[in-house]
Amino acid sequence: MLSNIVSSQIETHRRFGGVVPEIASRKHVESITLIVQEALTEAGVSRRDIDAVAVTQGPGLIGALLVGVVAAKSLALALDVPLIGTHHIAGHIYANRLIGDIVYPALALVVSGGHTELVLLPEEGVFRIVGRTRDDAVGEAYDKVARALSFPYPGGPHVDKLAQQSEEEIVLPRAWLEEGSYDFSFSGLKSAVLAEINRSKMKGLDPDFAALARGFQNSVVDVVTTKAMKAAAEFGARQLLLCGGVAANRGIRERLAARCEEAGLPMLVPPMSLCSDNAAMIGAAAELKWRRGQFSSLDLAAAAQVSLEEWSV
Amino acid sequence: MTNGNKRTAGDHPLMLCFDTSTAVLAAAVCRGAEVLASRHSHAERNHAVRIVSDLKALLEEAGGEEIDGIAVGRGPGSYTGVRIGVSAAKTLAWAWDKPLVGLSSLETLAMAAGPYLRGDKQATETAAFATRHAERPVWVVPIMDARRGQVYGARFGTTDGSVWHRLDEDAIRLIGEWGPSLAACAGEAGALLVFVGEIGPHAAALEALVGAVALPLAIDAGEMGRLAAARLAIGLVDDVHGFAPNYTQLTEAETKLGDGARTEGQA
Ligand SMILES: [Zn+2]
Repeated sequence: MLSNIVSSQIETHRRFGGVVPEIASRKHVESITLIVQEALTEAGVSRRDIDAVAVTQGPGLIGALLVGVVAAKSLALALDVPLIGTHHIAGHIYANRLIGDIVYPALALVVSGGHTELVLLPEEGVFRIVGRTRDDAVGEAYDKVARALSFPYPGGPHVDKLAQQSEEEIVLPRAWLEEGSYDFSFSGLKSAVLAEINRSKMKGLDPDFAALARGFQNSVVDVVTTKAMKAAAEFGARQLLLCGGVAANRGIRERLAARCEEAGLPMLVPPMSLCSDNAAMIGAAAELKWRRGQFSSLDLAAAAQVSLEEWSV
Repeated sequence: MTNGNKRTAGDHPLMLCFDTSTAVLAAAVCRGAEVLASRHSHAERNHAVRIVSDLKALLEEAGGEEIDGIAVGRGPGSYTGVRIGVSAAKTLAWAWDKPLVGLSSLETLAMAAGPYLRGDKQATETAAFATRHAERPVWVVPIMDARRGQVYGARFGTTDGSVWHRLDEDAIRLIGEWGPSLAACAGEAGALLVFVGEIGPHAAALEALVGAVALPLAIDAGEMGRLAAARLAIGLVDDVHGFAPNYTQLTEAETKLGDGARTEGQA
């Protein structure tokens, strides 16, 4: 990794209490060439040194993806180099490759604002989804609960911090789903938090936000880590890869690390800069295809939904 | 130029021109008014898929020579559409290190009337055009549907279809109000009023305008070449990094935020 430039729009979207897709797309068009220029400058390379262009094909916000895909295709045409359409989740998983060697079979726990997935990698570049959320992603649940607890957007980290500080806990239900399932569901938990807040207000009491944050966090952490450990054992994983923007969450990170240590299972987790959305991770995943000569055509289409399994090498 | 083609100082630059703001993906390689290759395809939802391979094919068709500049329609029009064109244009201009000429998509749409006014092409409404030989000025009003009775529109004046001047800025307007006021002004000025572009959704409103002509013409990338060469010649080029679409409208979220701020301000 020679450079990894991220232009965050958090400050812009904070004013709207969440990401506004149209504004996100507008900002991307405004900054695209400048960011690419910065990436080259920081890496100390020129346009002519580029051997291939990698871009996120999906999943994501279609309007935002379109800007990246069109720019990447234009760059590939202009520089006459191959194009590699890349899966966003493969990027999150292979961010781990930037900090260490991956040992297969590996199990990845992907937790972010848009995703909660357990992905088995039987071998390099091969992805098998063994569990996924049926409603909200972990990060989404954190942000929704944060709003209920009156934190500004993006509130997930505030809930994590409050939960760490709290001595008290209001115990909330765990959504284990049916026996043997590695899927997740967090919408019921979010509703339970809202119901607790209402119950307190009906009684004329101030809701104990700290105890609620801790109860919410413990429920999430318990379900996520238990399912990850079970899946790792069932599929004979030799390594656990934690990734995605919510991997920065201390609750999840610390409990998973402790459970992996108990089980003697090595765990990899990238530093924060490589957990949140970034371009180096897209490069790391694209490298899988580059080594195999698997390139995309200039007719590559951005897509809000793309199958990770089908993206396998 | 490094590829050895014989070029004299008086030659027009070789321009890659395209616009994706409407349902038509319009692209051409032009040397001044000469169109070396062009493509026009109707596939709104596929602009992002096809744009780059279309441009590649076009460049090959035009002889594979190194181009001297890029011209693109920067809107208004479909938000997604203009982003596709602008993103491609910025990236190509940056990667090739060539000048970028941003054109109004409405202006390029108005230019589509050029060949008819110059007599290069025949419109079915030739009777209406015959009247312009009496040295009547022509007002060309390009319109794109913006839903709910609105259009993105502008107004350009010409007499011969070669020299144009802008009379109204690009903006979103209610056709039911703007149409009649344009017709009244044209009547007073003795100008022939010609609407071009997405006529269909507003046919009823336009038919009600006495003396106006409506031509359902689409953007012609070949006509962009003349405009682009003229702008490039006088150094009217855009800063590649700062280049952005002209949407003529804030997003809904921004409008609401603005309304909120105003309401609070009044309280
Ligand atoms: Zn992500």
